[in-house]
This record gives sequence, structure tokens and C-alpha cells, in this order.
Amino acid sequence: MGLVPWYDGRDGMYGWIWRHLPGNTWVKAVISLALVVAVVYVLFQYVFPWAEPLLPFNDVTVDNQ
Amino acid sequence: MAATTDTEHEEHTGTASRPPAVRRRPGPIARAVSFFGELLITAGLVLGLFVVYSLWWTNVVADRAAGRQADQVRDDWAHGRGGPGALDTKNGIGFLHVPAMSGSEVLVEKGTSNKILNDGVAGYYTDPVKATLPMSGKPGNFSLAAHRDGHGAKFHNIDKIEKGDPIIFETKDKWYVYKTYAILPETSKFNVKVLSNVPKESGRKKPGHYITLTTCTPVYTSTYRYVVWGELERVEKVDENRTPPKELG
Repeated sequence: MGLVPWYDGRDGMYGWIWRHLPGNTWVKAVISLALVVAVVYVLFQYVFPWAEPLLPFNDVTVDNQ
Repeated sequence: MAATTDTEHEEHTGTASRPPAVRRRPGPIARAVSFFGELLITAGLVLGLFVVYSLWWTNVVADRAAGRQADQVRDDWAHGRGGPGALDTKNGIGFLHVPAMSGSEVLVEKGTSNKILNDGVAGYYTDPVKATLPMSGKPGNFSLAAHRDGHGAKFHNIDKIEKGDPIIFETKDKWYVYKTYAILPETSKFNVKVLSNVPKESGRKKPGHYITLTTCTPVYTSTYRYVVWGELERVEKVDENRTPPKELG
């Protein structure tokens, strides 16, 4: 066994997720799409706003620090 | 998707050497490499999304917030709330109009923290050098900051401002018409002297009514700061139709 469940598989993480989704190809496709949307939502709503001030791309003021 | 491609691939190559039904398990190195490769692909997608977030989504959110707050200020003015008597600094003190930079107005609020500026507004400095508000009538420097990219990108086209261009600040009952007289296209982010009451780097030595716009430069980074200075030319009273001064006509 590797570090993660899909590590031992032959088609990687995304293949592992695909094989574990229920239903036929269409159902899998719809669920995949929902998962992608959910991940993007979490990134835009929580992860990026948290990460942004830590990155030096958007400081506009002059200051002493 | 990957699985289908793999099977096809195996059918093509596998017929000669071994039966197509046999699924060979990849060795540990192959597995480690593919695991690492997948992580890289994922990281690439996340970074790509971060760019989309920074340059597009933050603008959507900021413009929405700025629009809401600007409506609130206009509404307060129309109903006689706020104004010089009861200066409400929380919702914004007025609007900045710089025709050379942008066709739209920029709401001005107190403070230059990310929390303020991320709402797609310009903020006047309270730290490290306190801005002198034009409404006070005292000589000093009305120093402002706003984002160059993302979060409304209100000062994105600051480099389009040239000497002589008007910078107009609108309050409830006055138009403050400034004229650009000096530009500093690149300075250190630690150069707080640009905010001084008498900004010597701009060439002025005597106290006066100045305005200073600061943002980051070059675009998409914040290595340096871009500074534009203006000096008050005249003050106009706002009439009942809020007719803008001729510079905005």
C-alpha cells in the first residue's frame, strides 16, 4: 500500500475517483462536474482569499514595514 | 478518460507480446512518477484558477461591493444625511473622478488596509502619514491608495495620467478640482515621504493643498510604487443638479 488509496492503482487519483463514483458514465460525468464546481467554489470562497494577502502581488500602499 | 486511452493503448501494443486481457501492474517507480505527475497537474490547475480569481473574480466582487457602498453614499447625500456637519467616514467621504484614468468614479473611504481597498474603493491614508482631508480647508496632502489589478483595479490606468490632467474630488457640497503637476513612475514601497504634507520629491517646497495617488507598479506585481501628485486649482460649490465642473463635461 502507498500513502494514499489511489497510489497503488494504475490510473492515478482521478481514475480512482472515477471508478468509485456510482452509476453509469452519464451519472459519473454529472457527479464529476458537481465535484469540480464544489472544489472551485471552496477555492474561490475560502482558500484564495486566505492565501492572497500572504502573496506579494497586491500591496499598493507605501509604508514603513 | 485516462483509463480508456490506456486500454486502447494496451490493445494496440499488447497483441504481439501478450494477451490483451492481462493488466500489468506498474512498478513502484512508474507509480511514484505518475503520482507526482498528477500532483503537478493538480497544482497547475489550482494556480491557473488563482490567476482567474485574482484578475477577474476579485473585480466582480469588488465592483459589486463598491457599487453598493457608492449607492449608499449618494442616497445619504440626497436625503441630507452625512455632509460636513456629520461626516460619516464609514461609508465613504466622496468620489474621485480622474477622466484620464477611467471614465467611472471611485468611491473614497477611510483607511488603506486590504479590507477597505478590496471593496473596489480608494482609501485615504491614516498610517504611516495621516492624510489631510480637503474638507478641512487646511493646507496638507490628501493621500490616496487603490489597487492596480484585481479588487476593482481602480488605479489600473494610473500611467495614463499626464501633467496638467484634472483630478476631481466630489463631496456632498463641493467639487475640489486638482491639477496633476508631478509624476513619479517608480519609487520604493518604503518611500513614505511621498505622503508628506509638503511632498518635496514632487518639487513643491511650500505648504499647499495637494493630492497624492499611490498604487503599485509594474502592473500585476507590487515591486514598486507609482505616485501622481496634484495641486488644488479651485473649489466649486455643488448646485442642485450636481452639474459637474467643466473638466468632467
